Amino acid sequence: MSIVSAFLIPGNPLPFLRPDNPPWAGLAEGARAAGKALAESKPDVLLIYSTQWMAVLDQLWQAREHSTDIHVDENWYAFGDLQANLRADVDLVHACIEAAVAAGIKSKAVDYDGFPIDTGTIVATGFVNPTGEIKAVVAANNLYHDFAMTEKLAKLAAEQAELQGKRVAVLAVGGLSGKYIDEKIDIAADQFGGENDDVHNRKLLSLMAAGDVAALRAWLPDYAKATGADMGMKHLAWILGATGGFRGAKTLAYGPTYGAGAAVVQFEL
Amino acid sequence: MSGEGKIVAGFVAPHPPHLVYAENPPQNEPRSEGGWETLRWAYDHVRRAIDELKPDVLLVHSPHWITQVGHHFLGVKHLKGKSVDPIFPNLFRYNFDMQIDVDLAEACCAESEAAGLVAQMMRNPNFRVDYGTITTLHMVRPQWDIPVVGISANNSPYYLQLGEGMEQMERLGVATREAIRKSGKRAVLLASNTFSHYHFKEEPVPPEDMSREHPERYDGYKWDVRMINLMREGKIREVMDLFPQWVDEAFAEVKSGAFPWMISAMDYPTIPAVLHGYGSVIGTGNAVMEWRLAA
Repeated sequence: MSIVSAFLIPGNPLPFLRPDNPPWAGLAEGARAAGKALAESKPDVLLIYSTQWMAVLDQLWQAREHSTDIHVDENWYAFGDLQANLRADVDLVHACIEAAVAAGIKSKAVDYDGFPIDTGTIVATGFVNPTGEIKAVVAANNLYHDFAMTEKLAKLAAEQAELQGKRVAVLAVGGLSGKYIDEKIDIAADQFGGENDDVHNRKLLSLMAAGDVAALRAWLPDYAKATGADMGMKHLAWILGATGGFRGAKTLAYGPTYGAGAAVVQFEL
Repeated sequence: MSGEGKIVAGFVAPHPPHLVYAENPPQNEPRSEGGWETLRWAYDHVRRAIDELKPDVLLVHSPHWITQVGHHFLGVKHLKGKSVDPIFPNLFRYNFDMQIDVDLAEACCAESEAAGLVAQMMRNPNFRVDYGTITTLHMVRPQWDIPVVGISANNSPYYLQLGEGMEQMERLGVATREAIRKSGKRAVLLASNTFSHYHFKEEPVPPEDMSREHPERYDGYKWDVRMINLMREGKIREVMDLFPQWVDEAFAEVKSGAFPWMISAMDYPTIPAVLHGYGSVIGTGNAVMEWRLAA
């Protein structure tokens, strides 16, 4: 496989927009460290899956050559605007679509002026690809695709990249525990929203660190149920599918984002 | 304004972007051959009702502005831009230009906070208004000449137990009613939601091929008919009693809060609702309905 690096990056924009806030500073620093490691792996393309780009009909793939709109998050608009700077690897996107269709997954390219690139993709690429120079393949999170289907899509996309001889960095963009604090808080005192979320999140990260993929798979349904995990951790399926598994992982940062869990993780391939 | 304000009517006004696409208005980029006529004809009745009612303001609660922390209100006087639907970008790329009734929005926000809800005003001028809000408003008043109050769908019905979320939406409705009363304005409420929300997984080609349109599930359809009949009989308390079961068994989008918000704001009207039309869009059940509370 041509996978040269793989990362879990939070899609919540708060660490990106307010890296000065102590509970979020570590996440911002960790994401920048991930960007440094990504650059050192010298990828030709980023293979991105963001839990926040949701689809319900067909599998969507971003095919706009260069997306540069200002984006305002529907929740966190008061913290500032986000600037998209995303270049699609159009050839690879179309190869992924053809391969997905051949595999029985109806897929479509998205190439529209003004299309709202999701917050997670903008934030993740803002951290790890700030100049926008590295082209990307971004796949939507179809809400009706399960973990296995997401894994299949990632595998298929990685295979297409290999066929094109490209070095690939995989980005899974999303959070951990999903319990936001539904009230106004002092952001400097941010903490996890669920009573045992911290314990569950740390166990998840330790399983990743050990590279114990079988145990991770076995525990994920319980973890997702207990913590309201972001999209059932389908973004982790993207990592597993694209990489074929990992030997271990290093947590570069971990913390709450208005109650929800977030971590920056670099996987050992 | 003089005297007390009032809610003159409430409408169930679902927001499939397909309806705007089918109409081919100048604001929307994609072109169609039409489609979903029965629902669009239903909206013709709503447009005439708005002409008759002459409201000062339209208030819309949209399931596609989802907020994690509290109930949010559009709070910028003039919002303009292009709203591209992230789910149906092939159908909906709409250039919107709307005036917000910020005074009333602030009053709704303040009443909500006084009622113990978490609420806040959205003040970012670059905010892209969601396609649910825009579609409902376009279908109701395509002239865009009446100020609006846009209200988000707090995620509590999904995040908490359904009953807890609904209780919040009902309190939001009471707060909205009180803000309208104090404003002296004539207000129309719009619950921007579909009923049964089972839908196709793949899009027909072309999307407007009506030979392909049908309810996705018969049980969802039957639930919608049952609830519509109760509403037409004025049995709103029975509707609300059955609400959790309807949400559960028909995967009804009313769960997002727009419907209970509106019904609560209207103080559970026992007058028969008028059904202007019902139809499916990619398999979902959509009713256009009216409760006329005042002349």
